Amino acid sequence: MKSRALQGIALGVLIVLGMAEVWNLQRKIDAEKQSLQLESEELMLRSGSMVTRMSLEYAPLMAAIYWTRAVQYFGEKHHLQDQDLQLLWPLLDITTTLDPNLLPAYRTGSSFLSDAPPRGAGEPDLAVKLLERGIKANPEQWRLYQDLGNVYYFDKKDYLKASQAFQQGSELPGALIWMKAMAARIAAEGESLETSYFLWKQVYDGAKEPELKKNAGSHLRMLQVELDFRAINHLADEYEKQTGHRASKMSELVQAGLISGVPVDPDGYPYVLGEGGKAELNLDSPLLEEQVMQKK
Amino acid sequence: MKNVMIVATNTFREAVRDRVLYNLVFFALLMMAAAILVGQISIDIEKSVIISLGLTAISVIGLFIAIFIGVGLVSKEMDKRTLYALLAKPLPRWKFLLGKYFGLLMTLTVNTAAMALGLYAALWVVKHPLVRADGFVLVAVYLILLKLGLIVALAMLFSCFTTPFLAILFTAGIYVSGVYAGDLRVMRVVQMDPGMLKLLRIVSYALPNFENFNVMGAVAHDRGVPGILVGNATLYAIVYGAIVLAIAAVVFSRRNLK
Repeated sequence: MKSRALQGIALGVLIVLGMAEVWNLQRKIDAEKQSLQLESEELMLRSGSMVTRMSLEYAPLMAAIYWTRAVQYFGEKHHLQDQDLQLLWPLLDITTTLDPNLLPAYRTGSSFLSDAPPRGAGEPDLAVKLLERGIKANPEQWRLYQDLGNVYYFDKKDYLKASQAFQQGSELPGALIWMKAMAARIAAEGESLETSYFLWKQVYDGAKEPELKKNAGSHLRMLQVELDFRAINHLADEYEKQTGHRASKMSELVQAGLISGVPVDPDGYPYVLGEGGKAELNLDSPLLEEQVMQKK
Repeated sequence: MKNVMIVATNTFREAVRDRVLYNLVFFALLMMAAAILVGQISIDIEKSVIISLGLTAISVIGLFIAIFIGVGLVSKEMDKRTLYALLAKPLPRWKFLLGKYFGLLMTLTVNTAAMALGLYAALWVVKHPLVRADGFVLVAVYLILLKLGLIVALAMLFSCFTTPFLAILFTAGIYVSGVYAGDLRVMRVVQMDPGMLKLLRIVSYALPNFENFNVMGAVAHDRGVPGILVGNATLYAIVYGAIVLAIAAVVFSRRNLK
């Protein structure tokens, strides 16, 4: 009987001391986990937070599944040329709430959101929201500032904020030197074809995600066309000054020695001079369809 | 201690005989399928998907083994009446319990280690060569093992005083509550009684916090896990596990087995 009582006392002491140590350790672990940025501090008000709670410990896997769904959703809509992309934001919202460190979801997702239809959802404000969330969760990722600057520059035409985003990103460790230069250039000049080309080239060169690379490549090709048009039209103006009439065929510029051969677009189709002697895409060029879609 | 080791070794052998390790075949098939499919459906997150999927599988499979086998460790011996023959020998009940615990822990360690190897193989197929940051996966696997150790202790405690079915329910319930233990502490509810908030806070510390062992998100993105966190999580599992096993030992030693 006495030994049973002793056993009970010993167990009681063990439980009290043990639980005190558990409490102490838990406080330490909480502090360490906060520095790992593994937990979101949001209230359980949004569906993303609810999904996070429901996925128990397996939120990263759920995030990967939601991200795959978001890409498939966007790809399917794009393929069907359906511009109703209502589900894109909720999918990206849930994905990044489940895993705040999933960088491709911010980078490619913001590109899906910000691009004007038919390329994207035409929701630059949501793209800014997504990227700002990404920056908050991953403050060391300068590429997110690059994406934010691009959204402000290309889609919102807010050159001051674009310049600020590039400037903030340029101050982070590992940021490439051109970020600082771009911040100054946009602040001074606003939008120009050369700046746009340079920015898309940086996206293209730095993109690991095939969708992001493809989108940047498409923008680059169309910007190259714009740059070529400008150069050809400049030469056509020169020809008009020399001869007193506007050239109607590209061969006339070649014969006048202004260009060595008929220039071709990024897909290899020769440019033509259209009405008013202005440079145009060849009717056979696949880029023509892209140009029409962009104008829409 | 020798007695404990004998019981532990026999428990491990029994688990192997019961084909517990057959789950590895399922894990291997899952990893092979993932390694083949992941490149086709994921966009630049192949590695992250493989790590998340692999660690999730290790955790879920381990959970099933820890709960179902853990609950059966004592009750099966009683049902088959082999317990009486064992306890007739000079073997205190607490040593029997501890031996059973370590036996299952041994099984889980072998099982988890084999699955971790499979995960690395899948990682190598998807993104070879392996880099130094891939070593963080081992930290996540180790923490999963700590969590499983705690779950086995809880399963054994419940199986000491109730039926296997209820013990499974209690263990699963504690596991789910333990995942949300941290949320109880930071819950912001309008118009909640301060006393109730205090109680929630106490409960949140009293429940085993299984989120302490979850670093899946960090390692899936090549983020290191601080050594101090691993150390404290280890201590947490040892202290909490010791309390649970001590209670289980007292309950089991007082149980009337007639």
